[in-house]
Amino acid sequence: MNVIQAILTGALIGGLYALMATGLSVIWGVLRIINLAHFGLILIGAYLTFQVATSWHLDPILTLVISVPAMFVAGAAIQWLFDRLRLTEFNSLLVSFGLLIIIIQVTSNIWTADFQRMSADVNPYATLSVAVGRLVFPVTTLVAFGLAALVVLGAHLVLRRTFAGRAMRAIAQDRAVAGAFGVDHRRLSVLLGGVVGATAALAGMVFALSNALTPETAFEWFGTVFAVVILGGIGEVVGTFAAGVLVGVLSGVVSAVWSPATAPFVLFSAIILALLVRPQGLFAVGGAR
Amino acid sequence: MSEPLLQVRDLDVRYGDAQALWDVAIEVHEGETVCVVGPNGAGKSTLVNAIAGIHPAHRGRIGVGGADITRLRGHRICEHGVAVVPEGRRIFPKMTVLDNLVLGAYRKSARRQHRATLADVYEIFPRLSERAGQLAGSLSGGEQQMVAIGRALMAQPRLLLLDEPSLGLAPVRVDEVYDAIERINERGVSVVVVEQDVQRALAVAGRAYLLGEGRVVLSGPAATLRDSEEVRRSVLGL
Ligand SMILES: Nc1ncnc2c1ncn2[C@@H]1O[C@H](COP(=O)(O)OP(=O)(O)OP(=O)(O)O)[C@@H](O)[C@H]1O
Ligand SMILES: [Mg+2]
Repeated sequence: MNVIQAILTGALIGGLYALMATGLSVIWGVLRIINLAHFGLILIGAYLTFQVATSWHLDPILTLVISVPAMFVAGAAIQWLFDRLRLTEFNSLLVSFGLLIIIIQVTSNIWTADFQRMSADVNPYATLSVAVGRLVFPVTTLVAFGLAALVVLGAHLVLRRTFAGRAMRAIAQDRAVAGAFGVDHRRLSVLLGGVVGATAALAGMVFALSNALTPETAFEWFGTVFAVVILGGIGEVVGTFAAGVLVGVLSGVVSAVWSPATAPFVLFSAIILALLVRPQGLFAVGGAR
Repeated sequence: MSEPLLQVRDLDVRYGDAQALWDVAIEVHEGETVCVVGPNGAGKSTLVNAIAGIHPAHRGRIGVGGADITRLRGHRICEHGVAVVPEGRRIFPKMTVLDNLVLGAYRKSARRQHRATLADVYEIFPRLSERAGQLAGSLSGGEQQMVAIGRALMAQPRLLLLDEPSLGLAPVRVDEVYDAIERINERGVSVVVVEQDVQRALAVAGRAYLLGEGRVVLSGPAATLRDSEEVRRSVLGL
């Protein structure tokens, strides 16, 4: 029973990893930019949820009304800037890391480096859970999983079925030729940056629901989220979701049967093994890139 | 004679410090098929890519249907009715055949009618409708060439630029491609075709230009060029 609970809880937590990773993966796949500032946007999204819910006594989920538009604008602005700088894939790593450091500095100036957590009276979700038989699921993980599934499904449909989505996949494969057929890559990249920023707001909100915040948290997301991006296949939204769930399950099970401390060790060993077998990512089938 | 559909004048194109075209001037009239020949490295692809907006012009003027498109950003050029089949096809390999074709109709004025245009393209290349759901990168070379031409047709061009459409194709396939080009031209689309297979290109074209080392060396009726000393020497190697 313990193991089943660990698997299911892990899968649900994997939803948060997928939510964090999808935007990073799509921007990487379509625009060839590794945007580390994405972690900064998630962080700001989380703090916005914390701040708005705390000061206005708003339901934390409703804070999305503020944080989603704000992060849309921030994400679009960052992409606009990257476009002006004509970043290469490698340079983007350096520039966006710089940007992340700035964001972390600014957040710790505003919200201090101490842990901040929504109090129980504004955040009813933290302690809620749903019981199915003897299995128990925290509501926060259900929210994470549900939002991740929605985002991934939406992104998948947009990429496959719409002119804008086809144009993004075309940009990923041959920008100049896509341009010759009328695809304005500047406009699309700003739009994509905005949408991805909005997903960062969702991820931040979900994180703030069940965790205390400190600016340094952004660095803790790196390992797991990159693992999910690489395993899922760069630019592959459905793959990213599957990888998020897999990574969640793996860490959950290892933590339950072994100990939480060994989880990262087992996780990354498994990832390296997986990449030896399938360097293009476990779930890559030919997506955006 | 009426104003040409395509008018290129004094065109210089550079790759960084290296100049690839000097003072190039060509004209294509409504309904014409014009071919551009020349030895490797003469600048034929550079010319096509400059007109299509894949690579910017450095100096000079490119006019399409009376509008100056020289300084337009690449994605605005197709709005003037220019579509390209680039050298090496450059289809989107990880997209399906259907998605490649539909992307061709991305420009606003082509988008609305894309279903009707798709039916036309399938009529010209029935094989593409059989392969619609397959990843374009998994097709044979000849089929990929059909995708590249079909994608360009989806844009409903007035001017179709074809860069070496017969490259790497078996002779039967080359016949198919050239039949298609003739049919497309009969529908009123003006065509510029760049070709290594000089005999073939000169046979379909009304007029021709010979490029050499980045300049127009010779131009005139295709039949005249076919018999000219320069063409025989520089491209046919006779
Ligand atoms: N991307 C590039 N960067 C730098 N130089 C280039 C580039 N593309 C072409 N050139 C140079 O420009 C000149 C013209 O090249 P272009 O490809 O236009 O020739 P071409 O006539 O199409 O030749 P081919 O028959 O081999 O296709 C050549 O000297 C080539 O080296
Ligand atoms: Mg060429």
